[in-house]
Amino acid sequence: MNLVTEQYKDVVTQDVLGMTYENQTINYLKIGEKSDKPKKVIWMDCGIHAREWISPAFCQWFVKELLENYKTDEKISRFFQNMDFYVVPLLNMDGYNYTWMENRLWRKSRSPSPVSNCSCFGTDLNRNFDASWNSIGASQNCCSEIFCGSKAESESEVKAVVDLVGRIKNDILCFLTIHSYGQLILMPYGHPNKTAPNHDEHLKLGQNAANAIKQKHGTSYRVGPPSQILYPNSGSSRDWARDIGIEFSFTFELRDNGTFGFKLPEDQIQPTCEEAMAGVTTIVEYVHNKQFGSAAAATVALWSTVLASYLSLLVLVQ
Amino acid sequence: MRGTLWIVLGLFPLVDGHPTLKTNQNSLETADAALNHQSGSLNSVLHLDDTEKAALEPTRVDPAFPMKELNTSHYPATRAARVAQHYLNYHHGSPSKWFMVHDIKKASSEDIPEVGTKYHVQFSVQEQATKEIVGNCTAEILFRQTEEQSAPEVNCTCDDLLKIETSDADHALYHHIKHQPEPMTGMDIPDSQGNIPKEMEPFWYLGGIGASFIMWQQSNESTLYNMVHVHSVKQLNSENDLLAFDYVVLLHDMVSQEIIHWHMQVAWNPTQGVKVTQCHLLPKGTMKQPSAEKHKI
Repeated sequence: MNLVTEQYKDVVTQDVLGMTYENQTINYLKIGEKSDKPKKVIWMDCGIHAREWISPAFCQWFVKELLENYKTDEKISRFFQNMDFYVVPLLNMDGYNYTWMENRLWRKSRSPSPVSNCSCFGTDLNRNFDASWNSIGASQNCCSEIFCGSKAESESEVKAVVDLVGRIKNDILCFLTIHSYGQLILMPYGHPNKTAPNHDEHLKLGQNAANAIKQKHGTSYRVGPPSQILYPNSGSSRDWARDIGIEFSFTFELRDNGTFGFKLPEDQIQPTCEEAMAGVTTIVEYVHNKQFGSAAAATVALWSTVLASYLSLLVLVQ
Repeated sequence: MRGTLWIVLGLFPLVDGHPTLKTNQNSLETADAALNHQSGSLNSVLHLDDTEKAALEPTRVDPAFPMKELNTSHYPATRAARVAQHYLNYHHGSPSKWFMVHDIKKASSEDIPEVGTKYHVQFSVQEQATKEIVGNCTAEILFRQTEEQSAPEVNCTCDDLLKIETSDADHALYHHIKHQPEPMTGMDIPDSQGNIPKEMEPFWYLGGIGASFIMWQQSNESTLYNMVHVHSVKQLNSENDLLAFDYVVLLHDMVSQEIIHWHMQVAWNPTQGVKVTQCHLLPKGTMKQPSAEKHKI
């Protein structure tokens, strides 16, 4: 990460998001043309669930694609001018480390149990956000893989996200969080009784992203709220982001469908990242154009300004 | 039960690790015969006479129990189709042949009071080794309302299943294993990075087919199972012409996100197919966790 920051220091800043339970520093990258004025933001975090190794791999791919192409790709160049990408390549560092050292299938954080009569470790970070916390699809048993913690935001990793995102929420156009597996694009909400006010727009946008994914390598992704297409749940970062007013919020569940599951083989890393990139770009482009107008619209606007200036000049000269 | 004309091919409740076989009303074959793989169409596996064949006709809908059309991308359809996949794999899979649901075309369900919910699903499957897609599968899956977990009752047919021809590969593998000087063993398939040595692939498939039996038995409307890891496989001595293996497999339930360890013994030969002869759940924490490479991040 340091190398990337150094090599691309014109457009990349590295900063501290917060600390993990085991006191590791969680870093994030801020990527875009530097500006004095506040810019609109696209948020992406990876590695919230330790065993989902393709997720931090995708964040790295995403950053690489942006940085290798921002000078030559017109679309990315526009993105860089108008927005900043905030990327957290690996949120649950403690858990990820544990999957390398001890247990490949670990999911949660590595904080000790908050209750005396339960000795297991870890809270499910994606059940620990303050979004209908502990209402459905979560557990109060500290040994459960979906243990939601003793209270919302009990985990330092979650607190780190909440602090920064909460501070800049008015500037965030879209919140993206990357997981595996299942080949899904999930939108708010996990709770079956909650529907986002812009549900239809989310669904359409998600479906466009799924179409872009399918065009890349033929992979099918399903789109919808988890309460319909996966399982009811609560306390997720995606739902929390929508709740605090961020207009668009999606969870990506990358390959595969269960053949290898969390242990995606090496030869599938690149195609998975390429198709996910296509899906994410579709979403980013839509939210960007909704805010700033499309390139075509921008060109029309530009020529209209030129014409208006010319005409007013003519009038003056008369 | 009114209006239900489906055949039950056998209930396999797990009693203290030994699967016992119970035939149900309308089941016209013993479960042993049902587990024999025959050449010919799926229907002929059961040696059905005309009455029995008529009983396999699609259920006639009783207006008192209305059918509800399901969205094929929603989880009730996904979960029901997965059960059919497990059933299909156990009855038709082999060390060279393993199916995954490819696309769900149509799904519906009906609530049967005091019995449970029956799903009707039409789907295609993809075979993992050949990548071939078998188009026309239909299944009926009944989840009974019971206090304890009971295996869903499944009736599943696929039109072109036999176009996936693997008996040469299966026979070659069988003879290869039979003629090895030492019984085979293996561990951690796949490894942390998803790698599987070529010579281990058939044992990964075989583990998956055996695990399909367990996943079928353990499924209900609130589960979605996959096998994520073969912790260990060890060939056992066997006197007859069946090869026998001892497995520890790890299953992932997507809904609870839990990883569940099962110990099973599996028997196989190319003509009789795969049979789980014993299985039992291992308590959480008895097994050493899937090994991870010792790398410092």
